[in-house]
Amino acid sequence: MYRILFILFIFPLTLFGQENSIPISVSFFNESTAIPFTRFFTAPVHPGIQIGTAFVYSEKEHSRLFQTVNASYFYHNYLAQGIALHSEFGYEYRHSSGLAPSALLGLGYMHTFATTEEFTFKNGRYEKKTDRGNSRLFPSISFDIGYYLKRDDVRSPKIFIRYQSWAEYPYSPGFIPVMTHINLHLGLQFSI
Amino acid sequence: MKKYIYLILVAIALAACHKGEDIQPTYYDCQFNFTDSSGWNTHNTLYQSLIDDMTANGVVGVTMSVYQPNTGLWVGASGKADLHNDVDMKPCNISRVGSTVKMFTATTVLKLMEEGKLDLDDKISSYLEGDVIDKIENADQATIRQLLQHSSGIYNYIQNLQFQTASLNDFIKEWQPEELLEYAYNKKAYFEPGEDVRYSNTGYIMLGMLIEKIEGKPFYQVFEEKIFQALGLNMTRFAAKDHIPFGIARGYIDMYSNLQVVESTYYSGWDYFTADGGLISNPYDMNIFFRALMSGQIIQPSTLEMMLTWQTPDETDPNFFPISYGLGIFKIETPQGIAYMHSGDAIGYYANMMFFPDDSTTVVYAVNSNYGKIDQFVSTKEAMEKVIAATKQ
Repeated sequence: MYRILFILFIFPLTLFGQENSIPISVSFFNESTAIPFTRFFTAPVHPGIQIGTAFVYSEKEHSRLFQTVNASYFYHNYLAQGIALHSEFGYEYRHSSGLAPSALLGLGYMHTFATTEEFTFKNGRYEKKTDRGNSRLFPSISFDIGYYLKRDDVRSPKIFIRYQSWAEYPYSPGFIPVMTHINLHLGLQFSI
Repeated sequence: MKKYIYLILVAIALAACHKGEDIQPTYYDCQFNFTDSSGWNTHNTLYQSLIDDMTANGVVGVTMSVYQPNTGLWVGASGKADLHNDVDMKPCNISRVGSTVKMFTATTVLKLMEEGKLDLDDKISSYLEGDVIDKIENADQATIRQLLQHSSGIYNYIQNLQFQTASLNDFIKEWQPEELLEYAYNKKAYFEPGEDVRYSNTGYIMLGMLIEKIEGKPFYQVFEEKIFQALGLNMTRFAAKDHIPFGIARGYIDMYSNLQVVESTYYSGWDYFTADGGLISNPYDMNIFFRALMSGQIIQPSTLEMMLTWQTPDETDPNFFPISYGLGIFKIETPQGIAYMHSGDAIGYYANMMFFPDDSTTVVYAVNSNYGKIDQFVSTKEAMEKVIAATKQ
């Protein structure tokens, strides 16, 4: 467990020194329960926000291999709200036009809470209890298309749309083992 | 540090949490229009401990009716109708009874047959047209009888994972029939019509549309006229007119299989307008209906005989009783003998009604919680065996 945490969150920090500046990514997203790749935009909107950074492993003229570390929160009305720490390995191809498609494979930890009053069965009866939430593993696969606003600047801000498919596991043991979701992000990446 | 992080997480969770609805206990007041002698019933203690046992295991609330020719009618309740306002469940409280409506749908179609308005062996495509026929495999060939008996082979839209996740995505959406049917469009049929039997909600949506086509009014209005009013089922109604009728027990779901339930009273919008679900009733009214149906008071004996013509599925479910499919009704082989039955789920609700033809014992129970760990105490074979063992003497 600690080894996984080290690879996901601590090891990337050792790469900080390689960077002259730190890329920051902020995105707002619409979360939904859905089968991956069957829906794009869904209603009603369940809002979420993600803030993260990225660490570059290798960079060539048109491509880079990187790892992200993100914190995120979503609110799915009537179902759940979740707060997560999440890391992704990604590959980006940067076209000279400024367009930059990426693919990312991620894993993280999520803690979800009910969005409605919860009652816990204890000693033969239901009682109102403070919701301590549920622990989830949070694997994901994402594809995004970005656009670098300054085509010739390697530190250029980038706007992106990201289609993220992810799963919540374990979800409801013996009932619904895994719940799948999609997040549609609209974000900005910039350097500080 | 860990403590602070935890407190922050809890604060976020609480800040964004819907609080329960404050409702006066009088909201749940109800009464029967008969003299209730359940307290003097020979089996009063046995029946009451049966449902008390359910609530002691985590079912939120239960209502039950048991009719036996020797001892008469018993009605009882256990647990809570409303957890937030701490209101006890009463035997007369109403709840969603989901797919048990299919027996009402089938009865209505059979009554239309008796009135000469349709023939069971007519193709449904003789009455309906458009996407419902063109885009649903087997719909052009299936007969009304096959839809009633689940032998049309038509894909069950509820099985579509895209529907299930879409339903979770918008818990309070009120679905129209066409939106539900879209989840069956262009899906492979299970088999050729008549070849086998497999449960299909899609077929019952189509039967609701058939009733509307023939009668020129909403199918639930036809239910009211031909069944509810005719039998004096005062506590029975269909969700379309009033989605959350006055006095309805709150529903609860154990979404994460940990006996931590949340309220789901407003989450069953997928069965407000279709004849595959959406019934709201109580076990007293349902007991009246089932006995009236089986004694030939609603449809003629020859029609009842048609309803009770059985087809057995090719594949048996090892986790359930041996089962055969009739027209809107099932026959199961229990340790206590043959029972005719239909059960139904809504989100946060479950109901089951059983009739034993050997002695007319009729058992109906309804609960206001389901999913997760709760299902094992209400809807599994083991749960039903327990109910049958206690009620069928």
